[in-house]
Amino acid sequence: MMKVVALAGNPNVGKTTIFNELTGMRQHVGNWPGVTVEKKEGILEYKGEKFLVVDLPGTYSLTAHSVDELVARDFLLKGSADVVVDVVDATALMRNLFLTMEIFEMGLKNTVIALNKIDLAEKRGIEIDARKMEAVLGVPVIPLNAKEGIGIKELKKKIYEVAHRKTRVEPIIPRYDPAIEREIEHISTVLKHTELAEKYSLRWLAIKLLMRDEEVIKLVLRYLGSEKLNEIMGHIGEVEERYKRAMDLMIASQKYEFVDSLMHRFMRYRFEQGETFSDQLDRILTHPVYGLLALFAVFYLMFKFIFAFGMPLQGMLDDAFSSFGQWLAPQIASETLRGLLVDGVIAGVGAVLSFFPLVFLLFLVMAFLEDVGYMARAAVVMERMMRKFGLPGKSLIPLVLAFGCNVPAVMGTRTLDEEKDRIVTMLINPLIPCSARLSVISFLAGAFFKENQALVAVSIYAVAILLALLMAWVFSRFLVGGETSPFIIELPEYLVPSWKTVIIHSWERSKEFVKKAGTIILAGSIAIWYLSNYPSVIGSGRSYAERIGMFFEPYVRLMGLDWKAAVSLLFGIIAKENVISTYGVLYGSREAIINAMVPLQAYVLGLVTTLYIPCIATIGAIKAEAGWKWAMFTVVYMIGLASVVGIITYHAALALGF
Amino acid sequence: MGKLEKVLELIEAGKSIEEISREIGVPPSEVEGMIKILESMGYIQVIETGDSACEACPLKSICPGSCIKFKGKLYQLSFKVSRAHR
Repeated sequence: MMKVVALAGNPNVGKTTIFNELTGMRQHVGNWPGVTVEKKEGILEYKGEKFLVVDLPGTYSLTAHSVDELVARDFLLKGSADVVVDVVDATALMRNLFLTMEIFEMGLKNTVIALNKIDLAEKRGIEIDARKMEAVLGVPVIPLNAKEGIGIKELKKKIYEVAHRKTRVEPIIPRYDPAIEREIEHISTVLKHTELAEKYSLRWLAIKLLMRDEEVIKLVLRYLGSEKLNEIMGHIGEVEERYKRAMDLMIASQKYEFVDSLMHRFMRYRFEQGETFSDQLDRILTHPVYGLLALFAVFYLMFKFIFAFGMPLQGMLDDAFSSFGQWLAPQIASETLRGLLVDGVIAGVGAVLSFFPLVFLLFLVMAFLEDVGYMARAAVVMERMMRKFGLPGKSLIPLVLAFGCNVPAVMGTRTLDEEKDRIVTMLINPLIPCSARLSVISFLAGAFFKENQALVAVSIYAVAILLALLMAWVFSRFLVGGETSPFIIELPEYLVPSWKTVIIHSWERSKEFVKKAGTIILAGSIAIWYLSNYPSVIGSGRSYAERIGMFFEPYVRLMGLDWKAAVSLLFGIIAKENVISTYGVLYGSREAIINAMVPLQAYVLGLVTTLYIPCIATIGAIKAEAGWKWAMFTVVYMIGLASVVGIITYHAALALGF
Repeated sequence: MGKLEKVLELIEAGKSIEEISREIGVPPSEVEGMIKILESMGYIQVIETGDSACEACPLKSICPGSCIKFKGKLYQLSFKVSRAHR
């Protein structure tokens, strides 16, 4: 019968590379019985003998909390392996040796440590004396650079020796503080002379019982019955009561300290382990103050880039649509059809479509920032701010989604466990400017602020985000009660982005913008053309659009806006881009729009468009997720907020002489 | 109190990896390692950030935001933490 070699270790330590090096092409992939965890087996041939190599799932411990851990633990525990190769990453010894100690605690005396990535450790100034490590841990240690195949020959030799008991293996066993050791001893004594003692290490069973390991509790119940188990568990309950802390955490923590104390005996840093460049960068980009400044700087530069390269293209597209309209008009005999196509469809849809370059560039920059690893750093800064305003860190996910579109963002609040967090995040979500509102902001900033386009856009985004945080604070303090839950972000490594991926992602995202222009915006443009030409043409004071606009004009005039803005905002409820298409239809050309408003009015319109009622799809999503009450509340509070901000901004700016 | 327990306590206090690293005097990579161990013990859970919300969205076919993804790994404390403080 073939001897079995099990490969254990943390995830991403090079286990698969070692498995491939040991087995070559003689591999078989299947599933572990009863679970959908991949099982890889292969054949190793050494000195004419065949070994079955089994690649166990990568785990950080053997607590049996996940299926992977349970599979790996059961395999080792049943003594299915003649040799256990524990693959250890030399660049992250602490976390790797924690698992090693868990294996040692099982009482196995057939382990070999494959100390992989030794080349990388050396480069980082980590010096490991393999011979000393071997002496301290009591098991063979083989340094490896598996990627280059270095050390594989020695590993094969050692596997052969351990399998044939030609090498002595006496692994060190972690020791805990005297109080815990006493408890281990006590439980071990209770378990002594039972059937379990013949199959498992008593110390391991005692430790796992102290840690309240469910699988081990079941095992004890099966072998010893409920009376014995209750006796043991009753004792453990008393111990926990005495310590006022969970034993599993105490034991794991002391095991970690034990590893720490061992490491210094065989490892040292060749040079002072200062902060890496990546650490230094993280310190600035995630700093409460500098990180926030960096975030604004990145946003500013992003808009600067978008406007610098996007606006000339937008102008060209706008001219192209105008020229196309001028060319098409004389070709159509029917006045109604001409009006519909030229003044309705081309003026409306064209006005929105001309912003395609800006939307594409926005997604390009976003994809770049994502790929390079900056977005996660920005998230740390935002998450810290959010917490100060009463939002849980987990709200970050829906709020990030909201920059793309508020609808999936509202649905994304389902991931929040607390009702309070869910409602508050849902209520403030529509305040985050989505990509549709970017078109409106870009249109207004580009047309009315030649010098400070980027600053104007960033200021509108900043006001919206600040108000979202402020409203979160108000809602969580006065409206919805409950607890918030902590949260932590693991930062990805900084990477040079793949331009191909970045461009593909940007294209995938921005082509949806074109689709939307061809559906919702097209329908909206036709509707607004109809309303502005029936029953009488615009300017007569009798068109539907004018009548609707005039009805709301006294209200929007408080913010310095006219009836055309009122109609645009009304159509913007269907989809925010309709604000631009409505202006396009009502005025006919970009020049006419520029002549009709002053920059202050444009700025107020940009702010109000960003803050007033969510689009109809977002209202529907809130209704579906939280009911009519919260959907209507969102509509009302956002109208109120937009009005207050619009009126204050307009009058304050007038008073300051703008 | 050992480092693992300290890390859990600091996460509960809302500290970032960077802040925890400074507070207990170990590199951020070691803090990440401890988080992995705490995760395997069931004290911390990974939050799935995939685009499940987008999958259920009625506007997914016309929405430009449906592909926004988050690259960092997000964790939250599990219910087990309350058991740790008896």
